[in-house]
Amino acid sequence: MNSTALKNELIFSYSSGNLGEAKSLFTSMYLYLNSNAARKSSIFDNLLADNFNNLDSVSPKNLKYSDCIKIQPKSDFRKYSNEDLNPLTKVLGNIKKVSWKSVYKGFKEYNLPISDNDSIKLIQMDPGISVPLHSHKGKEYILVLDGSFCDEYGEYKKGDMQINDKNIKHIPTACNKNGCICLSITENDIVFLGKFGPFLNLFTFIKSFFK
Amino acid sequence: MENTEIIDLIKKISENRDEGAFSQIFDFIAPKINSYFIKNNLNFEQSEELTQDVLSTIWSKAYLFNPEKSKFTTWSFTIARNKKIDFYRKTKKNNINEDDIRSFLYQNEEGNDYEIESTINKIKEELDQNQQKLIKMSFFEQKSHKNIAEELEIPLGTVKSRIRSALNKMQKFLS
Repeated sequence: MNSTALKNELIFSYSSGNLGEAKSLFTSMYLYLNSNAARKSSIFDNLLADNFNNLDSVSPKNLKYSDCIKIQPKSDFRKYSNEDLNPLTKVLGNIKKVSWKSVYKGFKEYNLPISDNDSIKLIQMDPGISVPLHSHKGKEYILVLDGSFCDEYGEYKKGDMQINDKNIKHIPTACNKNGCICLSITENDIVFLGKFGPFLNLFTFIKSFFK
Repeated sequence: MENTEIIDLIKKISENRDEGAFSQIFDFIAPKINSYFIKNNLNFEQSEELTQDVLSTIWSKAYLFNPEKSKFTTWSFTIARNKKIDFYRKTKKNNINEDDIRSFLYQNEEGNDYEIESTINKIKEELDQNQQKLIKMSFFEQKSHKNIAEELEIPLGTVKSRIRSALNKMQKFLS
């Protein structure tokens, strides 16, 4: 799987505005944390915006410039701090204060209240905690928001994104001394492998009824 | 309109709340933005409503526009695109405001549209006219592959493979 190509396609779709709410929020966070991804997004934005130059103009008939002028209070002109602009903070407030749900010792998650075909959640893993060997039925997108995790393919730090599919089998483990917090989108269920795989898959199946 | 003229006008809007300067910016960009919405399948009334929304944002957020780093047309495009996303989401429950979520992009301290100009030119040179047209129809005008195939009278498979090939060509310049 060409992971770089998938990441680029995600950014391009984001620039064109055709992602669902979950992937759009996810990509906003990716660009917010990763300057290289933000640069690629700028390239796409500029490429698309270039079409303005050869577009047949259509003047609005019932709109004048004065209809667009608003009186603004002085407070409107403030510059925002970088944290004020954090896309996830805008949706959830302080992410450290969300109502985490413990899945097993050292592993918590929080499902974001977004109605979309893709489910998006926050994951918090304590240092050294792993997710048992698993693969994926659909694509899985993981973005590190804080700390880092490691798996068979390397170490992923704050601002790094990993895209997985059915060909990837891995055991992600929080490897930073403070553990890690990630934002994750799963298009379909994950499939646990190994000795305890069948039990874990059954447990996940039953749990899905109580969501 | 020349870039230096645009920069001067935006500065007047931002620093002096100059309505005359804003009327010139309006005359320059409003017809393009309105046309963009019409191309994106919105009717005339909806297009004008959203154009008003975009121009109001340009007026109120002009102080955030940094002409040394950003191109005015790109900045305007991103605002228009975000308003369009929110328009289509308006009827859905629990929707999040995309224009607000993406506001960090308006204030991106690191981005510089001028530094990436050579990369953009290389991409445009690499893509042939047909591919540029398909990228425009698919990603700027948000036409479905099926609609593109019908409009250009070519098979659906050809549309898909040409877009794929164009995206693959673009990848080379992104690393």
